[in-house]
Amino acid sequence: MKYAFYPGCVSRGGCPELYPAAVKVLAKLEIELVELTDVGCTGAGVLSREVSDPINARTLAKAEEMGLPIMTICSTCQGCLMQANHRLKKDPAYREQINRDYLAEEGLEYKGTTDVKHFLWVLEEDYGLDKLKEMVVNPLNDLKVAPFYGCYLRRPPEVVVPKGKESRKKALESTISALGGEVIAIKGKGKCCGFPILIPNERNSLEMCGNHTLEAKDKGADAIVTPCPLCHLELDGNQPRAAAQKGRKIDLPILHLPQLVGLALGFTPKEMQMQRHIISTGTVEAKARPKATVQS
Amino acid sequence: MNVTFKVRRYDPSNNGKGEHQSYSIDVDGDTTVLDALTQIRDEQDGTLAFRGSCRSGFCGDCSMRVNGKAKWTCRMTVGKAEKDGEISLEPPRLVTVVKDLIYDQETFMFDKYKAVKPWIEPSGPVPEGEYLVPQESIRDIQRAMSCTLCGLCDEGCTVLVVDKTFLGPAALTKAYRVMADPRDGKMGRRLRDLSQKRGMWDCVHCFEATEHCPKGIDPTDLIFAMRDEAIKRGIGPPRVVRHHDSFAASVKSSGWLDEARLVIETEGFLNPVGLARLLPTALRAMARRKAPIPYLHSKRKGADKIKRIFKKWEATKK
Repeated sequence: MKYAFYPGCVSRGGCPELYPAAVKVLAKLEIELVELTDVGCTGAGVLSREVSDPINARTLAKAEEMGLPIMTICSTCQGCLMQANHRLKKDPAYREQINRDYLAEEGLEYKGTTDVKHFLWVLEEDYGLDKLKEMVVNPLNDLKVAPFYGCYLRRPPEVVVPKGKESRKKALESTISALGGEVIAIKGKGKCCGFPILIPNERNSLEMCGNHTLEAKDKGADAIVTPCPLCHLELDGNQPRAAAQKGRKIDLPILHLPQLVGLALGFTPKEMQMQRHIISTGTVEAKARPKATVQS
Repeated sequence: MNVTFKVRRYDPSNNGKGEHQSYSIDVDGDTTVLDALTQIRDEQDGTLAFRGSCRSGFCGDCSMRVNGKAKWTCRMTVGKAEKDGEISLEPPRLVTVVKDLIYDQETFMFDKYKAVKPWIEPSGPVPEGEYLVPQESIRDIQRAMSCTLCGLCDEGCTVLVVDKTFLGPAALTKAYRVMADPRDGKMGRRLRDLSQKRGMWDCVHCFEATEHCPKGIDPTDLIFAMRDEAIKRGIGPPRVVRHHDSFAASVKSSGWLDEARLVIETEGFLNPVGLARLLPTALRAMARRKAPIPYLHSKRKGADKIKRIFKKWEATKK
């Protein structure tokens, strides 16, 4: 299994723990990566599509040249690349125009054949959860985990969940179970974390963060797991401020998906860089500690 | 088939207390939920109150929650809706109920609809006869024109759950419909109005509205288009504009996002109050080594190619 790896800006910027954790886990699973090092930011829904579509077309064309599908580790990168890909694939005239106006000068052409997959979908659809189960050396039996997807792994449905891919709607739950953990269902799992409106409306943003983390906490979760580092920035980084606004203590650890997988594969919390989170992951570390095996 | 409808009742004369009432009915699986409900009212309980006008999937008047999910009940058959012989019906989540399944549309939607001034305001003289719109413009606004204000997008909106004063995707769709009309001459003023508190910048672009819209309008896409237009004209709340400009400048110069620069430039270098507000979060991040010291942001390998794309795009705007 081999992918053109698109780690995204945040996995080395605001969430510097994500990139090294993901790379370690992927190596352990023997998923081969060729990192796309000379491509641009997806635009993250901030930049106009008029400029982010050509930048993303360039990324898709680079992967196409390599003959590899792209793997992301960020729901937002995934969404932006995938939506751009959707527009470029369904409208050949638009693709042609972007090729002509922006890519031709560099000798590139996007033919519309690249697929983009988040690590979560790679695990579930390509690697296989049965095989993942076999790789688990430290089943997370004592851990209660609430899934939190990030909008762009849920919607728009015709882009994200095409026919035959319905299992994506439950991929996070299936993965938690495969790792031995207990799934704590929360209503907010597919909702917005609040991060996109931190600048224009901090109150609403923190309200969303508080609602999701408190829902998980009140339902008995030890942690939330998310495949999106922007959700992580909000639910982990802004949790202290959300707690102050809500007037309640929260202190709920938020894990990146590769970290949860890593713990079950036998990596230590330090190897997964969990010490870099704003909210201490101490309770998770205690419950995920490998059990002493009885020597026979 | 025999189906039990569990309908949320609400009677303002009964201290406003709501409760579920069950009605059993024999109907064909192909009967629409709305027709079955009408049959219940005609045959079993004349006091049952609900809306439903065209009954043919056009007007959206019959929106309600079917088994917890907001739907047009004239488009849904009993056979598809029933679960273990039961169908639950409730009003949408975010509304003030008047009676049973009827809710106050004034505060849920119409007040916000009025707030976006949903009429054409030409800036120049208007022709005496017909005022025709070219075909290519119609194509652009046709999607937004097909909105019947059923409110399902607002029902699905993530922001309205935490803040009922947000304009919401239904009103913003109407705002797009008017400002994209070539006969309207007030786009600048409209974008400035929408940039006020509770306006289009409060949208989290989660695509819930797009998923909920039964007409395939894609309100999220229209909100993106209006925000892009506002940014092009330098319109928006100052922090939002600075955030965008810093984001664009860092991708343009280095190929990827410089987050430390983004955070500081969004507050503004000359804004000690804003920068001071960042301090607790920054200190927490430094203490956990989340923000590396020293902080370095290097150019990506293909940065010059990204810069060229930016420059070409900027040339098209002139």
